Amino acid sequence: MPPGKESEKDHVLSKRLGKILELRFENDQDTLDALSQLSTFYTNNTLHARRNLRSQIEKRNLDINKEFLASFLEVKKSFDTIYNEVADMSKSIADMTQRLQNTKTHTKQLLQQTNSLQDERNHNVVEQNIAETLLQKYQLTPENMNALQGNRKDQFMSFEIFSVLDKVQNIHNNCKVLMQTGLQTLASDIMEQMTLYQEGALERLYRWTQSHARNVESPELTDIITQAMARLQDRPVLFKYIMDEYCICRKGKLMEDFINALTRGGPSGNPAPIEMRSHDPQIYITDMLVWLNKAVLAEKQNLQLLLKLCDNIEKEEIITDSLAIICEGICQPLRARVEKVLGTSFPASVLYSVVNLLRYYNKCICKVVQKGQVVETLTTLKERCTLSFFDRLRANVEERLVRVEAPAPAKLAPTSAVQALLATLRDTLATANMSDGRETDMPNITGCVLEPLLRYATEQASRLPAADMAVYTLNCVRDALACLQMFEFTSARAERLTAQADAQLDTLVAEQAGALVHRLRLGPLYAILQEYSGSGTGEKKPLADVPGMEPSNLRAFLEKLDYFAASPDEALLPQIQLLTSTKHKKAVQKRAFEVLLAIYKQLYQAVNDPTNNYENPQAIFNKTPEELEKVLLK
Amino acid sequence: MSAGPYNYSYIFKYIIIGDMGVGKSCLLHQFTEKKFMADCPHTIGVEFGTRIIEVSGQKIKLQIWDTAGQERFRAVTRSYYRGAAGALMVYDITRRSTYNHLSSWLTDTRNLTNPSTVIFLIGNKCDLEGQRDVTYEEASKFAEENGLMFVEASAKTGDNVEEAFLETAKKIYQSIQDGRLDLNAAESGVQHKPSQPGGRPGSAAGGDQSGRDNCAC
Repeated sequence: MPPGKESEKDHVLSKRLGKILELRFENDQDTLDALSQLSTFYTNNTLHARRNLRSQIEKRNLDINKEFLASFLEVKKSFDTIYNEVADMSKSIADMTQRLQNTKTHTKQLLQQTNSLQDERNHNVVEQNIAETLLQKYQLTPENMNALQGNRKDQFMSFEIFSVLDKVQNIHNNCKVLMQTGLQTLASDIMEQMTLYQEGALERLYRWTQSHARNVESPELTDIITQAMARLQDRPVLFKYIMDEYCICRKGKLMEDFINALTRGGPSGNPAPIEMRSHDPQIYITDMLVWLNKAVLAEKQNLQLLLKLCDNIEKEEIITDSLAIICEGICQPLRARVEKVLGTSFPASVLYSVVNLLRYYNKCICKVVQKGQVVETLTTLKERCTLSFFDRLRANVEERLVRVEAPAPAKLAPTSAVQALLATLRDTLATANMSDGRETDMPNITGCVLEPLLRYATEQASRLPAADMAVYTLNCVRDALACLQMFEFTSARAERLTAQADAQLDTLVAEQAGALVHRLRLGPLYAILQEYSGSGTGEKKPLADVPGMEPSNLRAFLEKLDYFAASPDEALLPQIQLLTSTKHKKAVQKRAFEVLLAIYKQLYQAVNDPTNNYENPQAIFNKTPEELEKVLLK
Repeated sequence: MSAGPYNYSYIFKYIIIGDMGVGKSCLLHQFTEKKFMADCPHTIGVEFGTRIIEVSGQKIKLQIWDTAGQERFRAVTRSYYRGAAGALMVYDITRRSTYNHLSSWLTDTRNLTNPSTVIFLIGNKCDLEGQRDVTYEEASKFAEENGLMFVEASAKTGDNVEEAFLETAKKIYQSIQDGRLDLNAAESGVQHKPSQPGGRPGSAAGGDQSGRDNCAC
C-alpha cells in the first residue's frame, strides 16, 4: 500500500465502515427480511458453516429460481390456452360479421317490397272508402231492405219503412247528380233499382194498409196508418182500393153496431136495447137518431183521422163520398122502424113531435154526411112523416066533425066540437111554435084544422035564422081569432077570419038597424022622405002636406023614439046580447044607432026646412040630432 | 095585424057569385094560385082568397069571397055581399040554366050591395066551345042592358081570368078617383054610410075598401 494510496484506501474503508456503523438494522426491512430468511437455514454458527454459507446461499438462490421457472411454465401454458380461445372467438365474430353483411343486403330488398305494398294498400283503402260511401249513398242496407220488404209474410209494419222509402226517393233524386257527373249507366241502373224497390214497398204498404185501415182508430195503429195513407195518396188506384175496402168494412160495422144497439144494447144490457122503448115513439126515434148522429160523427172523425196527413187530394170530397157509402147500411133498418111507427095509430101530436125530431136530426146528420142514401132516406122519412102527421091531424079533425050539432039558441056559443078543435089547434100550434119549421108548419096546421072547422061552423050557422047565424059565426070566429092571435105566422088565416067577422058584423048591424026602424015604425016615414027628396025640386007640395008626414004622425014616431032613447039597450036584438065579444056588441050597437041617427037627422032637417011648411018644428022635434046622438052614443 | 107583410094602398073586397058548379072556386084558384084545380069540391058556405095586384101604380090587395052556389047556403053567403066593392057574377056557357038564373043573382046583388059596386059578368068554361049553350052575343047583350062588364073566361086555361079581376079593380079604382066611392071612415076596412043618398035602412049600404092604414083591428 502506497501511503497516498494508503490514505485513499483508508478513506473508502472508513466510508464503508462508517456506513456500516451507521447502519441500524432495526430500520432496514430488507435486512430484516434477509436475516429472517437466513435464520431458517443457518442454524449452526460453525466455521464450515461460515465457509459454506456463500454456496449455500447461492444454492438456495438457484433452487428458488428453479422453482420460479416451473411456476412460470404453468402460467405460460394457461396463456396459450387463452390465446387459442380468443383466436376462435375472433374467427366466429368474423363469420358473424359476414353473415350480418349478407342479411343486411337481403333486408334492403324486403323493405323496398314492403313499401310498395304499403302504397298499394293505401290506395286500396281510399278506393274502398269511395266504394263504401257510394254504396252507402246509393244502395240500401240489409236492414233497410228488411224494413222495406218485410222478411216473412208477416203482419208487422214498422215506421222504418217510411224512412227507407224516403231514402229510396232520396237516392233516386241523387242519381241526377250522378248523371251530371257522367255516370249515366250507373245512375240509370240505380234509378231503375230504386223505382223497383219503391214500387215493391208501396205494394206491400198498400196490402197492409188495405187490411188494417179499418182499425184506424186503435191508438197503436193510427200513426202508422195515417202515414201509410199519406204515402199512398199519390197512387190513385191503390188509394181508391183502400178507401173502397175501408168503406165496405165500416159500412158493415156501422150497420152491425146499429142493429146491436137496437136489439142487444150495450154490454150486459147497459144501455138497454133501443127497441125496448119502441112503444114510445118519441123516445124510440130520439134514441135511434141520437145513436146515429153520434155514430155518423165518429165515422167522419175516423175518416178525417185516416186522411189526416194526405194533402195532395180532394180530401173533403173523398170524406163526403166515403161517408155517404159508409152510412148506406143503416138506411134500411132505420126506415123500416120509422115507417112502422108511422103505420101505428099514434095521435097527431105524437107524429108531430116525431116530425120535429126527424127534422132536427136530419139537419144534424146531413150537416155531417152531406149526401148519399142516408140523406135521401132521412129526407124521405121527414116528408113522409110530415104527410102522415097532416093526414092524421085531418083525420082527427074530421072524426070530431062527423055529426053536425046544432048550437043552443039560448047561448049561440061555439059547440063543444068547435071548442075542442080550437083547443087542439091551440095545443098543436103551441108545439109548432117551438119547432124549426114553424114558418110553414103553423099556416099549414092552422089551415088543416081551421078550414074544416069553419066549414063546419058555416054548416051549423046555415041552419039558423039570419041574426042567429051572424052571432054564432061571429062567436066562433072570435074564438078562432083569439086562438090565432097567440101565434105568429097565422096572419093569412087571421085576415080571413077578420074579414069574415066584418061581414058578419055588417049583417048584424043591418039586422039590428032594420029591427030598430021596424020598432020605431020609421020605415014608412023614411020611404016617403026618400021618395019626396028624390022627386026633384019642381012644383011639389010642402012635405007637411004629404000623407003620412003629418005632424001628428011624426009626433007618434017621436014618442016612440023618446021611449026608446030612455033605455036604448032594450031595443037591441036578444041575439046581440049573446055575442061573446063586448067589442062586437058595442060596435053593432053603435053602428045600428048611427043608421038611426042618420035617418033622424034627415027627418029633422026636412022638418026644420021652412019650405016644408011645418009649424013650430021645435015642438015636433024636441031633440036636435046632436042631442039624440049624445043620448044614444054616450 | 091582418095587413100582411106587403105594403098596399087599398083593400078591395070582391065577391064571386053564381050557380053551383059554374066554376067560381076554380076561377078564384086560378087567379090566386095560377093553377087549375080539377075535382074541386063543393064550397061550404064561403071560401076566401087574397092577392095583391097593381092598378095605375097603386098596390091593391084583393080580398075575395068565393061563395057557395048551393041554395042552402044562400043565407050565409048574403052576409058577404055588403062591403063588396066588386061582384063577379059567374055562369057556365055550357049550361043555359046557370045563365037563366043570372037575373035573380043580379037582383040579390043590387039589393045587398052598394050602388057603386062594380058587377062583372063572367061566362066561364069558354074552353068547352063544343058544348056551348049560351052564345057570346046573347050574354053580351044581357050585360049591356044591365050595365055590367062582361067577358068569357076559362078557369081551366086561365084565359081572361086575370083580366076579369083586374078590369074590375080598375073600374073600382076609377070610381074612387072620380069621388063616386067615399073613402072616409076607414075604421075597419068596411065602412058603413047609412046617410048616403039611396042607402036603404034595412040594408045598410056598404062602402068597402079601406084607407091607407087598413084593418086596424
